[in-house]
Amino acid sequence: MRRNVIFLLASQLRKDAFRSRVIGISLGLMVFLLIFSAYTGWENYHDQNHTRDVVQNEVQESWENNPDKHPHRMSHYGSFALRMKHVLSVFDLGMENFVGNAVFLEAHKQNTVNFSEASMSTGLLRFGEVSMAMLLKVILPLLIFYLGFATIAQERENGTLKLLIGQGITRTEIVLGKWLGLWGLSLLFLFATFLVVLFFIYMGSHNVLHSNSFIRYGILLISYILFFGILSAITILVSAFSKRAKGALIKLLGIWLLFVIIMPKSLQAIGYYLYPTPSKIEMETAVEHDLAKLGDSHNPDDTHFKVLKDSVLLANNVKEVKDLPFNYGGLIMAEGEAMSTAVYLDHEKRLYNVYSKQNNIERYSAFINPYTAIKNLSMAFSGTDFQSYLHFKSKAEAYRFKLAQDMNQLQIDFIANKGKEGPTKISNKYWKDFPPFEYNYLTTTTIFKNELLSILALLLWCVLAVFGLSKLSTNLKAI
Amino acid sequence: MYRLLFKSFFRTKLFLVSLLLLLSIGTISIFIGKQYLVKQEKNTVSAQKFQEESIKQNLEYHNNDLGLLLYYQRFAFIKKPANISAISIGQSDVNPLLQAVTIRGIEGQKYDTDFENPSLLMSGNLDLSFVITYLFPLLLIALTFNLYSEEKELGTWRILTAQTSGKASFLLKKLLVRVGFIFAVLIVLLFLASAVLQIEMNQNFWALFAQSVLYLLFWSALCFWIISLLKNSSFNALALISIWVVLTILIPAIVNNYVTNTYQVPEALHAMLEQRDGYHEKWDLEKDATMTGFYEAYPQYKDYKVPENTFSWIWYYGMQHNGDLASKETSTEMKDKIKMRNNVSETIALFVPTMHAQLSFNNLAGTDMLSHLDFLDALTEFHENLRLDFYTTIFDKKTADTVNWKNYDAKFYTSKQDFSWGYLLLPTLIITLLISALGVINIRKL
Repeated sequence: MRRNVIFLLASQLRKDAFRSRVIGISLGLMVFLLIFSAYTGWENYHDQNHTRDVVQNEVQESWENNPDKHPHRMSHYGSFALRMKHVLSVFDLGMENFVGNAVFLEAHKQNTVNFSEASMSTGLLRFGEVSMAMLLKVILPLLIFYLGFATIAQERENGTLKLLIGQGITRTEIVLGKWLGLWGLSLLFLFATFLVVLFFIYMGSHNVLHSNSFIRYGILLISYILFFGILSAITILVSAFSKRAKGALIKLLGIWLLFVIIMPKSLQAIGYYLYPTPSKIEMETAVEHDLAKLGDSHNPDDTHFKVLKDSVLLANNVKEVKDLPFNYGGLIMAEGEAMSTAVYLDHEKRLYNVYSKQNNIERYSAFINPYTAIKNLSMAFSGTDFQSYLHFKSKAEAYRFKLAQDMNQLQIDFIANKGKEGPTKISNKYWKDFPPFEYNYLTTTTIFKNELLSILALLLWCVLAVFGLSKLSTNLKAI
Repeated sequence: MYRLLFKSFFRTKLFLVSLLLLLSIGTISIFIGKQYLVKQEKNTVSAQKFQEESIKQNLEYHNNDLGLLLYYQRFAFIKKPANISAISIGQSDVNPLLQAVTIRGIEGQKYDTDFENPSLLMSGNLDLSFVITYLFPLLLIALTFNLYSEEKELGTWRILTAQTSGKASFLLKKLLVRVGFIFAVLIVLLFLASAVLQIEMNQNFWALFAQSVLYLLFWSALCFWIISLLKNSSFNALALISIWVVLTILIPAIVNNYVTNTYQVPEALHAMLEQRDGYHEKWDLEKDATMTGFYEAYPQYKDYKVPENTFSWIWYYGMQHNGDLASKETSTEMKDKIKMRNNVSETIALFVPTMHAQLSFNNLAGTDMLSHLDFLDALTEFHENLRLDFYTTIFDKKTADTVNWKNYDAKFYTSKQDFSWGYLLLPTLIITLLISALGVINIRKL
């Protein structure tokens, strides 16, 4: 194996590619799309986050400006949590526009996260969105196939392959040269895209929230480099094992359609078909049902709350509720909140387990479809996958719970017990003391754990690609 | 002649593969539509049951306090999906068809979403409209791209031309056989859908039928035009797939990015805040601050006076209504923005048959954005009627059992889908005729 020969073959492939008209048109198109997606991606990220930031500050301001009042009124006044976009969402939109952006946080109730971009869009959204990652995942593979389908098949048809071998160039050199040449071509576009992404990360890096962006960026870059290595290998293999270039092209187009369009969507649909999910009203009914079994604070004869009452009375050494030294109503509400939240979260967890089952069918297909592996990896490290959304949701729920319980505690401590003289309001300094909603993104380690499957699949594909190429190096047919 | 062409076509492997692929994915898509309808039906039933039971329970707990009962009680308003919506589920997975609202402020309730798996929302429903817009064109391409080039490359073209009088008419007939086959599969699937999903054979169904046929005619014309350039097979395959990618992926996605960015809707978030503050700040203000606005909106309640130092339900529900009043303007702006998004998308779609097909499918099936906005308007009206129904009884401090609860079962909304045949069919028809003309000019030179 001579390095200079491989290099020569690779650069020959590149020269040929740039000579063809196809690359001229598609290169122009790709550059336009890159600029367009970078521009719209950044504009969207910037404007949306700006709006949300402004609104989140308004929320905090209006919270703090409330006058003295009963703390339970404040837990109904509530707060809002707004989802901030990760700077890498400029690169990969993922599920960004299909998940909600704002949630009202109040006592007693888990509200839905509303105002997703999808809920305000026309049916066009289902055609997809242009992002830099979409170009890399969907369009560039097609371009690689266009550029590579003829590499070996055409040379064989023309008889030049026989000539090459006759000149003493080994099969390994031919295969490696072609493969590296094609891979190099795709990397040109990849690096151009990632240079743009680097710029955006740099722009966003003044925000401490995005401090681990560079690590995410590195992982994304490596993943895409491997992905294109795999695709180039597939192209070379298909080209080599096809009798004619025409046949290779048709096969590769078929693979592209199957991998990128048909398989992901069908498998997702099958998952949905196999594991039905409850609707909101069904789940709410179930939550209420379970809660009623545990204890109902509205019901005066409820056993759970009766036991609670008795033990509280005993512990404080009094006979009746009105003699308690603190606000008993606050205590009951705190207990009710804890119970209803636990039941709700339990049901929600079950719902998400069903979602996971639905999604897993497609996720596991990463082992037969490298596109799925890169799709999930790319979304996860760009902070636009389902787990990132759930992370926001759980943070918002934790904040809601803390808000309700802190207000209940204030009521227990400072509001007069029912039937007693005393304060019915507390100072507004307590609102100012309550911290604003703050959000952080998933840590890189967590994302690694979430995406272990996709990483494994991608690595397996790398091994397969190398194995396939080495096989080809020994039995490449010259005629 | 046709018999021979049919025979030779039916013997190809590609014919069998495409027949199986289209029929199986088409059937799956119809059953996915069926599942969607079943889910909606189940949803409706549980909403009805939920409402019945909760009324019973609330009556038990809060009979003496109707104001408090209605604080809790939710009333379902359901958009019954027409069966045709199973063909094109459209936006109705993102936007819930069912809302259960209390008589408190509507603005904070009407945008609540249902639970849906975001991964599924992202990948979109595999419904029949997807199969028609995406897969049928691909199969058309696969069956026709080498119509001429293959004969040329195999060397059979010369023999053929020696044997037939009109070369062009031979190619046309060969094309017709393949296109005819695709249309046959399309029609079979559409009728299968109408049988399985029990779709009413009304104007909307036939409009959807016509739009599907026309859409595939457009693709046939495109294939014909590429064939008429008389290039080799590789060129044709490349060109047609590229056109397919541009029309079904790139242009719609670019338009979508453009529309999303140009018409951003920060109003949604602002209205949300205005509603809450418009209601809540009233707790800390004089009663007049609440009641002026409320009496202005509903002068019929002017005679009910509000006690100054204690809580009263008229004040409470007055405050709630003030939240809606405070956010009304922003909320209308938000609706206008969404309508604008829709208008711009539809206008651009007139020039792009793929987009036009998808948007018209949604429109005909009642699953588009506008249909949802209509539903939200109807929901607001439903909510107002509920309030006005109950206000007098609450303000008169009557007990809950004086209300005839039998009247308060879940209510349904049926959408009206208007369309104009010209708007539906003309854009694609004109484009199809233009492309066909180009093809005919080319093939005449043959």
